[in-house]
Amino acid sequence: MTQLKKALEGEVTAEMRQVAQSEGVTAEFIREGVAAGTMVIPRNVRHSIANPVAIGTGLRTKVSASIGLHGGEAAIPEELAKITAAVDAGTNAIMDLSVSGDIDAMRRAALALSPVPVGTLPLYQALAEAGQKYGSTAKMKVEDLFAVIERHASDGVDFLAMHCGTTMDIVERAKKDGRIDPLVSYGGSHLIGWMIYNQAENPLYTNYDRVLEIARRYGATISLADGMRPGCLADSLDGPQVQELVVLGELVRRAREAGVQVMVKGPGHVPLNQLKATVTLQKSLCKGAPYFVFGPVVTDIAAGYDHISAAIGGAISAWAGAEFLCYVTASEHISLPDAHQVREGVMASRIAAHAADLARGLPGAAEWDLEISQARKVLDWKKQIELSIDPDRAGRLRKERSDDASEGCAMCGKYCAMKVVSEYLGTARQTC
Amino acid sequence: MTQVLAARMGKITAEMEMVADREGLSVEFIRAGVASGKIVIPKNKLRKPVNACGIGQGLRIKVNALIGTSSERDRIAMEEKKLAVAEAAGCDALMDLSTGGDIDGMRKMTMAKAGVPLGSVPIYQAAIEAIEKHGAIVDMTAEDMFASVEKQAAEGIDFMAIHCALNFDVIRRLQASGRVTDVVSRGGAFLTGWMLHNQKENPLYQQFDRLLAILKEYDVTLSLGDSIRPGSTADSLDGAQLQGMIIAGELVARSQAAGVQVMVEGPGHVPMHHVESTMLLQKRLCNGAPYFILGTLATDVAPGYDHITSAIGGALAGAAGADFLCYVTPAEHLGLPTEEDVKDGVIAARIAAHAADLARGDKRALERDLQMARARVALDYDRQIGLSIDPPKWGDKKHHGQDHCCTCGKECAAQIAARYFGIS
Repeated sequence: MTQLKKALEGEVTAEMRQVAQSEGVTAEFIREGVAAGTMVIPRNVRHSIANPVAIGTGLRTKVSASIGLHGGEAAIPEELAKITAAVDAGTNAIMDLSVSGDIDAMRRAALALSPVPVGTLPLYQALAEAGQKYGSTAKMKVEDLFAVIERHASDGVDFLAMHCGTTMDIVERAKKDGRIDPLVSYGGSHLIGWMIYNQAENPLYTNYDRVLEIARRYGATISLADGMRPGCLADSLDGPQVQELVVLGELVRRAREAGVQVMVKGPGHVPLNQLKATVTLQKSLCKGAPYFVFGPVVTDIAAGYDHISAAIGGAISAWAGAEFLCYVTASEHISLPDAHQVREGVMASRIAAHAADLARGLPGAAEWDLEISQARKVLDWKKQIELSIDPDRAGRLRKERSDDASEGCAMCGKYCAMKVVSEYLGTARQTC
Repeated sequence: MTQVLAARMGKITAEMEMVADREGLSVEFIRAGVASGKIVIPKNKLRKPVNACGIGQGLRIKVNALIGTSSERDRIAMEEKKLAVAEAAGCDALMDLSTGGDIDGMRKMTMAKAGVPLGSVPIYQAAIEAIEKHGAIVDMTAEDMFASVEKQAAEGIDFMAIHCALNFDVIRRLQASGRVTDVVSRGGAFLTGWMLHNQKENPLYQQFDRLLAILKEYDVTLSLGDSIRPGSTADSLDGAQLQGMIIAGELVARSQAAGVQVMVEGPGHVPMHHVESTMLLQKRLCNGAPYFILGTLATDVAPGYDHITSAIGGALAGAAGADFLCYVTPAEHLGLPTEEDVKDGVIAARIAAHAADLARGDKRALERDLQMARARVALDYDRQIGLSIDPPKWGDKKHHGQDHCCTCGKECAAQIAARYFGIS
């Protein structure tokens, strides 16, 4: 039975108790959220997770990191090292987005290694296998696709990302409306190509009940991916994006009716002044289902620094109600990330998540800021470093940038403001 | 004559023309903005010609970088490299915040090398010299403070951060409010210590007209230093900060009346839900004077990543009306930045500024993003690199390889879709 069905029947599961404890809320609060569909606990019945997480309204904003085999040089050990880097950096979930190589082995290794929920995008593997089997991704059979979905679910994948709402109507609208960049989503692009080649409606839409049945059987959460996420600021909140969101809202309702946990995936490239509207629309159309947003990046031109652009968009989106941030690394739009960029990407997303938690007054968030600021005031370096979001980096930078030279830091040296003022206001220790 | 007095007389200066040209706006728009005090063009009469930079309402948001020696690191050569890095990364202005070693020599170097408007904080030098001269910062005299302002103005500094808006009203509010991090502004801290030790009002507040006379003579733009900016998110928008802002507003009115260009410095650590209100209050209380903000830092907990916390706050603040973003580097709260930190700080602030420009509907900013989107669709990597915020960052990695190719054979589904949309 799924978490949702149990929640609806009033049962508090072990996972609900575990996440309640880590969030500092009651298990009943979690049960109600899961029952209402405003929270999900991605957890496949076949996957044991050391740190289960709940994602949704009233909880800390969560972060996901994507890894995966891609291209000829990709190797499983390197991708596993990225998982370790992401987990060390504090990610709450991992997505294995492998598109080539031994995708089965990669996924199974990721599931074995990851202490946090693992998500996948089964269509990628179905496309890769169709390419090998038929010489063309466009010749993928519907049965092939569902076989792969079943394989992923039965392996224990906790959340399955699927483009169930990218219908022919929406594809035609994208063409008619003259979208600048209609092919942003890798899965969406191939799926659209498949639909056009086969002159057939999206099989994930027409066979949605079958998708739900698989997810229900394994307790997997569905992450409704968007084929029409904006790939540039100019496409944000255009007809195709909004129409797909309307369809996704219908699919959310059907998932809930089937007892399947569901969240909705979104943006993309979004101008800062459209972030709040984007989240509000999703919340309204998808009846409060958790919103899993990629970035969003707030400009198209920050290649090389898109983790920063995404931190801006992620912070504002999460403040507006998005609960789950998919990281963007510094290498986005340029190449694939290395382990260092993975770590940096997770940190940037966690900063955005915390800034949002602080702004929306989540209990506990302001306390963290207060504690580190009190340590800063009394120049307690050990405590400041410990309380930092990334103690390793803060400690290293302090060493390198200040040579641990003074009790203040090398920026102000002897003329530390904290020291000067404390002497006269008598507000803190006088030693520095 | 100062830029603002010229503007009020209907006179167009060379600097106004340069700013209009760089912004793609009419020179009349710039003149009217300068006349009303909503735009400043920091440019000392005696300074060599530089890339004139207009700051204020209706203009592209500008970015400021900080360099300078400290008591722990006083190598001018190192700061010279940072200056070059900051300009190459695209900063619109620079401030020399030196407090160590040969402060005069350092300023001479920055003045010679900088191709952008240059700012300083004269109280730093006055305070450091007071230690040598009198034995302690608190023994600095009012004359020392004014002498430092006069000297730096006569040398050609374009804008000065001066902490005039600190008085005993503010200190009393500070003592009454029970702040977490009291005073985090260095200049503010020097003056707070001075005032409490000497039990005397801040000379830069008390003799404000004298200060204005000096600034007017050289057309130095006054940047009203924020002594009381919040140093933790818990201190944001408290009584002390607002008292300082109210006094800054009074001083803005007096500066504008005296024909001195003026902008106002502000936050600091500000939780996201305070940003818009902070901007609104400043614009309201300070008669629309340009707002020059540090960060804002959206959380206290990310030392090592404060260029990112500042990008979050700076973008929001810019969208809500801030005009000038002072960069924050990854070394903030930990030490003195390296060249790499300076570059990261400038780029992060520029991303924030650009994101805010886009949100404000800046046509040129929107056009640049659109061009980038088209270059991506066309898989034109050379154009993508050229349109990027930092082209060298690409290195030799030109091919993303993710958009339209995977291990499929000849009939790639994504290619079929691309043909359908007419973009293959």
